[in-house]
Amino acid sequence: MSDAILEVDGVEKRYGGVRAIDGASLAVERGSITALIGPNGAGKSTLFDVVSGFERADGGAIKLDGRSIYRLPAYAIARRGLVRTFQMTKTLNVMSVLDNMLLASPDHPGERLSTWIVRPWAGRRRERDARARALHLLEAFELAAHARAYAGTLSGGQRKLLELARALMLAPRLVLLDEPLAGVNPTLGRRLLEHIEELRRDEGTTLLFVEHDMEVVMNHSDHVIVMAQGRVIAEGSADEVRRNETVVEAYLGKVVVA
Amino acid sequence: MIAITFHFLTAADFWIGVGVLAATYGIFALGLQLNVGTTGITNFGQAGFMAVGAYTMGILVAKQGWSWWWAMPAAIAASMLAAVIVGLPSLRLRADYFAITTLAFAEIVRYLADNERDLTEGSQGLLGYNSDWFKLSLRLGDWLNGHGVHVTSFLFPLLLVSWGVLLVLTLLVALVVRTPWGRVLRAIREDEDAARALGKNTLAYKLQSLALAAALAAIAGFVLALNLTLLVPDEFDPVFTIFGFVIVILGGLGSYVGVILGSVILMTVLEGTRYVELPLSSDKVAAIRFIIVGLVLILLMAFRPQGILGSKQEMLLGE
Repeated sequence: MSDAILEVDGVEKRYGGVRAIDGASLAVERGSITALIGPNGAGKSTLFDVVSGFERADGGAIKLDGRSIYRLPAYAIARRGLVRTFQMTKTLNVMSVLDNMLLASPDHPGERLSTWIVRPWAGRRRERDARARALHLLEAFELAAHARAYAGTLSGGQRKLLELARALMLAPRLVLLDEPLAGVNPTLGRRLLEHIEELRRDEGTTLLFVEHDMEVVMNHSDHVIVMAQGRVIAEGSADEVRRNETVVEAYLGKVVVA
Repeated sequence: MIAITFHFLTAADFWIGVGVLAATYGIFALGLQLNVGTTGITNFGQAGFMAVGAYTMGILVAKQGWSWWWAMPAAIAASMLAAVIVGLPSLRLRADYFAITTLAFAEIVRYLADNERDLTEGSQGLLGYNSDWFKLSLRLGDWLNGHGVHVTSFLFPLLLVSWGVLLVLTLLVALVVRTPWGRVLRAIREDEDAARALGKNTLAYKLQSLALAAALAAIAGFVLALNLTLLVPDEFDPVFTIFGFVIVILGGLGSYVGVILGSVILMTVLEGTRYVELPLSSDKVAAIRFIIVGLVLILLMAFRPQGILGSKQEMLLGE
């Protein structure tokens, strides 16, 4: 691939004797919307965990923009511009929607205690800027009316939107979305997909997502990576993957022609 | 024949005693509120941090001849250092491991205080750390007398100072948790993985929360030491950490003003029940005091589970 933002090379992750990821290699092209698919237990979520630093890899190499992020802690990877969402939405339910957004403001001086002793104005100024950006994003995601409400009062679909909007507070280069449409009603789901496409078009953000809805995968991604049993077994455009026999086999089992 | 007299409720000495205790455990529980209510980390070792602070201060003054004024910041630093040493390995683990580790730490400190007699005098009690305070206390008493306040109790200056310290510290902690720094702590309480995914070094924040709680425990330890006039290991039993938790739950999880209320209520009940006269041996009467505290808690959980100043909506959303 010509210009990869994320390069995963021979990554392994073992849990005892189980090889959850068994030498997976893939590359995600800058500015693309790439789908990661595969049957249950293929290692997709584990790969997300390893790439985003939530699990430590047992071997291989991982590079973001050419720099190694292998075995860096999760927070350090997020600061370098790789932000993820979770299969089970992780909104902070006993905090307001706005606080959820403000929390994500990167490198906020007000998050250091020393700031409030030495130069409190720096913390306050940054908080004002972050608030403006947060309200702007909430506006775009049609959540501004709920800014003051507890995030726990939002519907499941709205929480998915909030989680994506919150990730964008970090102005990420690469966003990993783990089943962004799971449990989201079709209307909200369409809006979420529109946001994803807008994000790529307007900000040049790269997106990698795990999704089980094949229609979404076929219509909304420029590149598809297929995993099975901890390895990447195929990749290419949606059409190429659809016709690939190994992929069909992985999903449906071997077709025996009598 | 049960004789309960309520005359004690009108006695100034009773309230001064309760007041000093309420300030002591209020400062103590402020730290627990920061850990448990705001950060969501279960610190069962607060009595241990209090012991480190009180004994460091006592030993530096009584054995090393330090000035009390210098011994106090040194003792706060020692308590915070203990928090970092305890927290660094255990805060990486799941919450239950951290709780057990802090409890074990507090017991280790108490056993050390009991057995390292050269330093601590063990259960005989460490004396002789409060002469600087005495001078200050007398001067304060004289000043008050000179301004028309008739001071009868020698504890009165300690009551004033301890409440001043409690109110200032409550204000400071309540302000600091409203900053973006406090927002990160609340995010960790809600979902630590979410905070990590957004670029927060959660271990560093949990350590800061624990170290600040340890500093507050040390300050509470100074007030305790001045109130008792001698330090004995029994005053740092894990049950005092449980009292801290009772205060936090009474007042309401996450409410800092609630800590003050909870502490006043708990200490009034604990001290007031001393005056219940029953035809029982003294150890049985002591047990009954705990039963009463337990009943108060059960009633609170039944009728106001969020505590006096806690938010019901937050409690339900947090589930």
